Amino acid sequence: MSIDVATLHHRAELLAANLPPLMAAADRVAATVSQGVHGRRRIGQGETFWQYRRYEMGDPIQKIDWRRSAKSDPVYIRENEWEAAQSLWLWSDGSPSMHYKSKKNLPEKAEHGDILMLALASLLVRGGEQIAPLGRGARPTAGRTALLLLAQSIEERLLSANDNQPVGSLPPFEPLPRHSNVVLFGDFLEPLEDINRAIGAYADRGVRGHMVQILDPAERALPFGGRTRFEGMENEGTALIGRVEGIREQYADRFDAHRGGLKAITRSAGWSFVTHYTDQPLESVLLGLYMTVAGPRSL
Amino acid sequence: MMTIGALSFIAPWALLGLLALPALWWLLRIIPPAPRRIRFPAIRLIMRLVNPEESSAKTPLWLVILRFALVAAVIVTAAHPVLNATNQVDGRGPLVLVVDDGWAAAQNWDARRTTLGNLIDQAERDSRAVALVTTAPSASAGRLAVSFMSAGEARERAQALQPKPWPVDRGATEILLADIDARGSAQVVWLSNGMEMGSADDFAAALRRIGTLTVFADLPGALPTVLLPPNADREGLAVTAMRASNGERKSYTIRARDEDGAVLTRRELTIESDEREGTLRLDLPVEIRNRLDQLEIEGQNTAAAVVLVDERWRRRPVGLISDLRRGADQPLLDELFYLGRALDPFTEVRTGPIEDLLKRELSLMVLADPGRLTGTDRTALTQWIETGGVAVRFAGPRLAGDTDPLLPVKLRDGDRELGGALSWTKPATMATFDETSPFAGLTIPKDIRIRRQVLAQPSVDLADKTWARLADGTPLVTAEKMGDGWLVFVHVTANPQWSNLPLSGLFVEMLQQLVQLGRGVAAEGENRVLAPLRSVNGFGHLTSPLPGAQAIAAKDLPSAEPGPTTPPGFYGDETARRAFNLSTSLGALTPIASLGPGVSVQAYEGSRETDMRPWVLTLALLIAIADVVASLALRGLFVFNRAAAAAGLVLLAVTPALAQSGPAATPSLGNADAALNVRLAYIETGDPEIDEATHAGLRGLSFIANSRTAAELAEPMAVDPSTDELAFFPLIYWPVTANAPVIPPTAAARVNTYLKRGGTILFDTRDEGGGNYVGNRLQIMARHLDIPALVQVPSDHVLTKAYYLLREFPGRWTGGLVWIEREGLRVNDGVSSVIVGSHDWAGAWAIDQGNKPLYPVVPGGERQRELAYRFGINLVMYALTGNYKADQVHLPAILERLGQ
Repeated sequence: MSIDVATLHHRAELLAANLPPLMAAADRVAATVSQGVHGRRRIGQGETFWQYRRYEMGDPIQKIDWRRSAKSDPVYIRENEWEAAQSLWLWSDGSPSMHYKSKKNLPEKAEHGDILMLALASLLVRGGEQIAPLGRGARPTAGRTALLLLAQSIEERLLSANDNQPVGSLPPFEPLPRHSNVVLFGDFLEPLEDINRAIGAYADRGVRGHMVQILDPAERALPFGGRTRFEGMENEGTALIGRVEGIREQYADRFDAHRGGLKAITRSAGWSFVTHYTDQPLESVLLGLYMTVAGPRSL
Repeated sequence: MMTIGALSFIAPWALLGLLALPALWWLLRIIPPAPRRIRFPAIRLIMRLVNPEESSAKTPLWLVILRFALVAAVIVTAAHPVLNATNQVDGRGPLVLVVDDGWAAAQNWDARRTTLGNLIDQAERDSRAVALVTTAPSASAGRLAVSFMSAGEARERAQALQPKPWPVDRGATEILLADIDARGSAQVVWLSNGMEMGSADDFAAALRRIGTLTVFADLPGALPTVLLPPNADREGLAVTAMRASNGERKSYTIRARDEDGAVLTRRELTIESDEREGTLRLDLPVEIRNRLDQLEIEGQNTAAAVVLVDERWRRRPVGLISDLRRGADQPLLDELFYLGRALDPFTEVRTGPIEDLLKRELSLMVLADPGRLTGTDRTALTQWIETGGVAVRFAGPRLAGDTDPLLPVKLRDGDRELGGALSWTKPATMATFDETSPFAGLTIPKDIRIRRQVLAQPSVDLADKTWARLADGTPLVTAEKMGDGWLVFVHVTANPQWSNLPLSGLFVEMLQQLVQLGRGVAAEGENRVLAPLRSVNGFGHLTSPLPGAQAIAAKDLPSAEPGPTTPPGFYGDETARRAFNLSTSLGALTPIASLGPGVSVQAYEGSRETDMRPWVLTLALLIAIADVVASLALRGLFVFNRAAAAAGLVLLAVTPALAQSGPAATPSLGNADAALNVRLAYIETGDPEIDEATHAGLRGLSFIANSRTAAELAEPMAVDPSTDELAFFPLIYWPVTANAPVIPPTAAARVNTYLKRGGTILFDTRDEGGGNYVGNRLQIMARHLDIPALVQVPSDHVLTKAYYLLREFPGRWTGGLVWIEREGLRVNDGVSSVIVGSHDWAGAWAIDQGNKPLYPVVPGGERQRELAYRFGINLVMYALTGNYKADQVHLPAILERLGQ
């Protein structure tokens, strides 16, 4: 490998310095959510006791719980809760447009995206799922290692952003196995055609997905006034508006149209879509997201 | 010049610049402000949006108005606005300002200065030369020649002008003005004091020769009022005020001050209509009158409205010649005592040797049988009398030793005694005073008896010299005029040895008459030089001497004219000062009548003209700053973080609240010592005697327990169940008195907790083991305590065998019952938490510092005390070890079973 030891060490240090707060925040958010979530609530493969059932003809004899059966006349079968692991690929948008906040006391969109992603990953890992960062060709893994790998991917993305390397606003395509899951975090303000193309590539392969749009409240309300020159954050160009108050309604229409388009794209792909604003609490969106991703409906 | 109301414009043509404002409007319309720059992620949604309102390219209206105001302010500044530009003088020639700065100018000095300043401002604007001439003589050596100067220089000199406390001298000014070579082109402005002061007419004529004359004068009603020095007579002071014109009836307030400036009195003085003068009679008490230092008219601030008062207007002090050889150990026999008592209320009495007394002015000198006078004293005294002093001498035993006494009459040797043991005459009474006597009119009390007197040798003039005589015609008081003064001799002593005259009111009245007689003069001659002590300044304030003031001989002072070298004020030194008043030398006051044709007389203007340029320029600058701020804000370069500001405010408001809340009341752990040692505790009843006994009792018990058992008890301490933590104490002794208050619920809760957790309390009703009164009180007192049903101590209870084997539990008393909790009610291992008794155990246990018992036990015997101690030790053991001994009871049975 061409990376020398010093660079690696430096990166490791950076990782160690930056990650714990992010991980801690994600863990904290995940902890508040996981209390309300129970298992799969289905009978199946697993280690956790689910229920006793009367023995019926055809049940394997090995499943009879003799201790239970000894207490009474009928013969009981012990059934465990289904605990099947699924594989999820997670991706969060790290492009410059995500590093935006309209007020000082609001977090950046990317911060919320990363925390949400890590928190979801933390929950999933606790639930025994296998996760992997999307776009790195990694195999899904389970346990704490998977979290660290995910965090490392965030860190490398941040480093590359610092090195002024372009970071994509849309998830890169990666050939994933069928029936795997993808969770995408981003602002998805790109043209709808581009988004459709990126989503479609996955949907065509039968990959199920979840799209979490993270926006700043200012991007919905356009709370500016007067003569303003807007500048894009990813070299999209500029727009000089004489009086911003005057275009607010038009903007709201276009904003709603864009979100409608995103919903349509996801619906046609069979994906879920949720919008989160950075002035809202993370816990509620995370709970909903977790129920959607890990819940029985999506399986 | 253009004038709009009080506002004038010196350069009105500059206002034409306002016409350019519409051009500014057009200019602002075509240059909109720069846009704010905002980085925004959702730029794609904004692109290609068309704004339906394109008016946003225009500058906001308020910004236009702001910039208009800015330009207008600059234009108005160029037009040089001036407020209150009145007092105008026409013409182009040099300006000659003649200012009356004598005493009368102080009355309206601010208006004069304002007018003067306005005129100089005007001359400055027109670049005219200015000459400033003052009519009052100046304190500096010579008067400066009149010269023209720039307006700025003239303003400096005008600002330094002060009214002088002396009159103007227009004649001398006329001579000065003759030097001015203005060839009639000058503008002459005379800021007069409005009074004739000689001939104002001639002066105006002289001024007219220089140029066009404008005269400012006070209205006759506004001219100053003069206060004349008061006339002193026996009743008091008569103060006269004089005004310049016969006007309406008007009242003035005369204020009298003392040396420190404190106001002694304020009285109304009224000048009737069509009168020039009014008089006020000030009948002040003597004490107040003698403190009087200065009289003034309130509201008049001229030097002539102030009259200084010196000792000439005061009641004269009386000198008592004291003889140091005479002791004051018998005050009721001392003549000075009676004289002092009689003179003190209405005069200032000074006591001392003759030479000291004569250093200051005296009206009366009293010699109370002084014995022989030395030659120098006698010469000084004679000299003083001849210059106007009054010496009063009393007879006495020592008079006989004086061979050549200073007396008005010759005396016969020896004295006459009336009504004595060897005399058949009765003590004589006094005859009515003669009409010629200074004492005429005084009533003589009937009980005055003269027992002894000295007799005058008959002579031709004896009757004339006699001021008072006895009923038999012999002189009692004789007097002789010496020079300007009097030598008075009283033929009895000043103490009641010879007569009871000194005890009577008549004595006081006679002395008062004698004091009135004395005019009061200084022994020193009139040739002494008086240095200026304090001066009255132009505004009538008493200040340190003015710079030009010079010393003046005392005899020249009355005839001196007030001027730069002799300003009005006090002269001399602090002990003997002479007042020199301005108003004495002022003649009648006359307002200026007519100044001849062609002279316009104006009144003074009160308002100073104000150059508005700096103000308008400041306004323009402020608008400019506001414009810069507004422009920056429009471009979004200012971010006002309201949230931070609000947070700061909230923090400011909350910080004190946080500081106040502090730690909440933490439960008191009490003294750390309480926890470090095992000790007995007791509850204080509030009765110090009982509390001391309890303390001594517990100390005694601790002492005995320490010496006999393994328990190590420290010094007992008092606890308060409502504040102290009780958990540290195994046993609490609680004496109950007949008036013990009910335990409050909060304290009771703590006591209950203590009892529940294994504490033991011994309630002692101390009532000889039977009287139920205090026991009832205990029920009331312990109303809030959780005390279960009590039983008598069973004969096999642990208390009977915890250490000693006991049958009864005596204290100071014996025979009562001891109650404990019924066994089995509590979980405390059957240990009773409450023990109630009435034997006053603490009294039996009590020991003094020498470890001797303090109180006898009843019925008595050391056996009872020993049993009391034993009970105490059992109690301590019971509290410390619980029912341990109860278990031991079964030991023999256990051993028996084990042995088998």
